[in-house]
Amino acid sequence: MRHLGILALAGFILLPLVQAVILSFTATLPTDRVAEGTIGLMNYRSVLAAPELKAAMVNSLIYVVLNVGLCIGIGLPAAYALARYRFAGDRHFLLMILVFRVTPPVVLSLPIFILFSQFGLVNSPVGIALVHCLFNLPVAIWVLESFIRAVPREFDETAFLDGHTGASFFFRHLIPQIAPGIGVAAFFCFIFSWVEVVFARILTVTGGKPVTMAIQAMFSFQTDIGMVMAMTCLSLVPGVAMIWFVRNHLARGFTLRA
Amino acid sequence: MRPHDNRAWFLILPALTLLGLVGALPLLAVINYGFHDIFTLSDVFWVGPQWFADILQSDRFLASLGRSLLFSILALGIQVPLGIGVALLLLTYGRRAVWGLMLVALPLVVPWNMIPMFWLGLIQPETGLLGPSLATVGFDWKFTGWHTWVLILVMDTWHWLGLVVVLAYAGLPAIPPAYLQAAAIDGASRWAVFRFIQLPRITGALAIVFLLRFVDSFMIYTEAFAINAGGPNDATRFLTLELGEEIKGFSYGQAAARATLYFLIVLAVVWAFVAATRERET
Repeated sequence: MRHLGILALAGFILLPLVQAVILSFTATLPTDRVAEGTIGLMNYRSVLAAPELKAAMVNSLIYVVLNVGLCIGIGLPAAYALARYRFAGDRHFLLMILVFRVTPPVVLSLPIFILFSQFGLVNSPVGIALVHCLFNLPVAIWVLESFIRAVPREFDETAFLDGHTGASFFFRHLIPQIAPGIGVAAFFCFIFSWVEVVFARILTVTGGKPVTMAIQAMFSFQTDIGMVMAMTCLSLVPGVAMIWFVRNHLARGFTLRA
Repeated sequence: MRPHDNRAWFLILPALTLLGLVGALPLLAVINYGFHDIFTLSDVFWVGPQWFADILQSDRFLASLGRSLLFSILALGIQVPLGIGVALLLLTYGRRAVWGLMLVALPLVVPWNMIPMFWLGLIQPETGLLGPSLATVGFDWKFTGWHTWVLILVMDTWHWLGLVVVLAYAGLPAIPPAYLQAAAIDGASRWAVFRFIQLPRITGALAIVFLLRFVDSFMIYTEAFAINAGGPNDATRFLTLELGEEIKGFSYGQAAARATLYFLIVLAVVWAFVAATRERET
């Protein structure tokens, strides 16, 4: 009975993915050399031969790495403060990051575009990395806070008694201790950032397009859907790798803190 | 008990600065734009609350609001129980549950604009894997309103089930076996075990799932638009579609007023939710 449930679930989840993979190996637009419906690697070859698609992959990787780095780097001290101390306005801060986490991107897209164009951050991966902190920084803080809270306070006190100062405590003791938490935080930041489209669209007008927008640009009057699917399947690779790396810690998740 | 120390502010200062820059500042700007008529950035006129009055009085707005609320209720009503069910099912598999978690997490890494393309490919009448069989039972998502709804709901569930499962599963394994043994001795039913032992453990996780899923389903745009562009006959015309049209039509003042209203609706729901959660804690 329960195996049946799992099978049904697997079917439901995998079916659209299988369809995409099949399409990615099928010639969907007839050309001089290959007839429509031929099975082969031609879609992947055309994707890898297109410089703008390779550039999109690089752009996406740059902004995601920047965004994850920013969220962890800035989120870690904040998470430590929330896990270890009470201070004036701590609950207001938690409420504030919750509100920013749930603010719909489409609400802020217009002023973000105007603001960022004044700082020259349009068409650059840096702009996307910064604006994605809006919804990823709260998630990073929640995840890291729960991991730091699980470390007993004596751990900090012992390190300080051993003569470690703030910075060396952070880098040599705390970070190795909560490494899985950093992995999980990076995973959640990744899944919300890599696939996001609203900010990615408004902030890349002429160049610096990430993967999502490069795929969007492949749709035209005569769309080579096989090639689109090949590009999409390639864009899943970093995400699947991410899932694999954090698989044993994925089940830590995060909870509402307000 | 955590000690009181206001020097902790130095640690949250970077986070506060960044969120102020990409969150608070644009938010203030969008509220300000909502009170103006904007032709170009140097050609701006004060119109007061006129846009807000226009939007709130239009029937289209109320109809879209109703549709968006209904969609959120249906999405939450399907995905939250289903996600908890899958999490409980995975729990019975012990260490092998990790494979199930990885499976349901897969749709989360698909680019959002490609999710409708996956599903449209799947139900394509001639070439899709499900297309021919769906066509024979008369499934017509292009011209029958409730079929479009079913398609969008199934697609949204496919996309987000993983998040519900992962976060619900996160709360469950921490339950000490002694609790479950005690319940078994008392002869508690499966439902009673879930309702009184397991559910209270995952309320924190469910609260965040509820809020995230509410906002994302309430403000669904990319996926719903790509399926049928709000059709047929405006049957899937959600709130964001109108906002998208105004931005595309360069009516920035009106779009900003509308965005402010949407933000206020979301804020009200979040605030009510947090207030209710805090009430239960104390």
